[in-house]
Amino acid sequence: MSHAIEVRELHYRAGKTFEIRDFALSVPTGSLYGFLGPNGSGKTTTIRLLLGLLRPLGGRIAVLGGEVPRDIPRILARTGYVPEQPHLYPTVTVAEAMRFHAAFYTTWDWPWADDLTRQFQLDRDSRLGQLSKGEMGKLEMLLALAQRPELLVLDEPTDGLDPVVRRDVLAALLDYVSQQNATVFISSHLVHELERICDWVGVMDRGRLVAELPMQSFKNGIKRLRVANPPALPGDTPFVLLARETANGALETWTVRGWQAPMGQYFEGVGASLREVIDLDLEEGFVELLRTFREPRS
Amino acid sequence: MFRMILFTQWKWSRLVIALSAVAAFALPVLSVERFGRADVSRWEVQEMLTSIQAWGVLYPVLAAALALLVAALAWSPDHRSRHVYALSLPVPRWHYVLLRLGAGAILLAGPVLALWAGALVATTAATIPPGLHAYPTTLALRFALAVLVAYGVIFAVSSGTARTAGYVLGALGALIAFEVLAAAAEVNVHILGPVLLRLFVWPGPLEVFTGRWMLIDV
Repeated sequence: MSHAIEVRELHYRAGKTFEIRDFALSVPTGSLYGFLGPNGSGKTTTIRLLLGLLRPLGGRIAVLGGEVPRDIPRILARTGYVPEQPHLYPTVTVAEAMRFHAAFYTTWDWPWADDLTRQFQLDRDSRLGQLSKGEMGKLEMLLALAQRPELLVLDEPTDGLDPVVRRDVLAALLDYVSQQNATVFISSHLVHELERICDWVGVMDRGRLVAELPMQSFKNGIKRLRVANPPALPGDTPFVLLARETANGALETWTVRGWQAPMGQYFEGVGASLREVIDLDLEEGFVELLRTFREPRS
Repeated sequence: MFRMILFTQWKWSRLVIALSAVAAFALPVLSVERFGRADVSRWEVQEMLTSIQAWGVLYPVLAAALALLVAALAWSPDHRSRHVYALSLPVPRWHYVLLRLGAGAILLAGPVLALWAGALVATTAATIPPGLHAYPTTLALRFALAVLVAYGVIFAVSSGTARTAGYVLGALGALIAFEVLAAAAEVNVHILGPVLLRLFVWPGPLEVFTGRWMLIDV
């Protein structure tokens, strides 16, 4: 499997409190990769490192086959980027912002840019400083898409947008991905949004990658189990035990990752009995994952 | 690419450029206004030179102010967005800096040409006493050089982060503070003087700002 983004042993420090250390990430080419994490977990910093906007202290970053920062102009020419905060010049108009952006990208697609302008109902003569948050979000997405990138890096692109605008922006994104086999790396703390569109997920917290796996495995693999007569020491489990809590008396609730039905045999082997397997949705799984990461089982 | 960089910089600094062009055209014209009259022969040559010299102080001031504003305006929108947009564009950083530098330098040509035109108009309209000569082109070239030197210096400082600019200004402030304290303590150490000499006396880069800026001279 080839990777549009590959990060190994990344090390970066900002100030005295925040650090990314031993960070590794692999984004398969053509995937829709959801980059999940709570606010302040380091998602935006990681994205800025990927795009060469920040310099790491160590490690290796490869994007679209090029090394960061050595090949960064070539990488950026093939990458559409929507940052977390609006970054465009507020004094120019929508039409001028499009012309400015187009001047830097040989792959810029004017007919499609015009289509998106109409689709997003953007007034070409409006100054960017006068645009609403939703309109600015649409324009940022328009600029990223109309350059026809091989890789889209979207940093919380729908954060703070109303549901209608969010739907428009995501629809345009999915439309593009269906036309072109582009890779999308999208960060968000809105778990349900990513659940609908992504096929891979990476979870980041406190500067570390907590988990990285196909979305289906993530959704199916995290379960809550009701276990009667559980062993004091779980021993060598065939799944990853994230947390165990006493429910009542001899009944315990186990949160596990990597669960598959045949693994129920494990409980018979240790003298316990599995009473119930509860599916967790992505958000619950995400919360459990972070909880375990922050309070590791002793 | 360069056209769009030039366009944005024009958009951000057009008011400064327009006002500077008007001032640059008006300065030489106003400096000789009194000498266009028929009774100019009554004027003493010395008085004319003194007047021209007094007006001449305004040329380097205008050059420095123009350069300061155009250089600062070239970077302020990028500073405001913490350079995220500029850095995400697919050009090497040095290339982007050169594009912005070049665009600003081209915009500065407007006020320089206005000054040249104003100087030509002024010297044509004025009655120049025998023994004196007009130097409109020399004055315009000197103005152009002063503007470009100041623009280059200020552009270099403002192209960095606020921290870099802070270091530069901090170093200057520390130098002045040291000089003041040394003088107060009657310690015979002078740093600022030699530094200023290095900067403003030939072959210092700011030498162009010193001396007399004469539209009409012997």
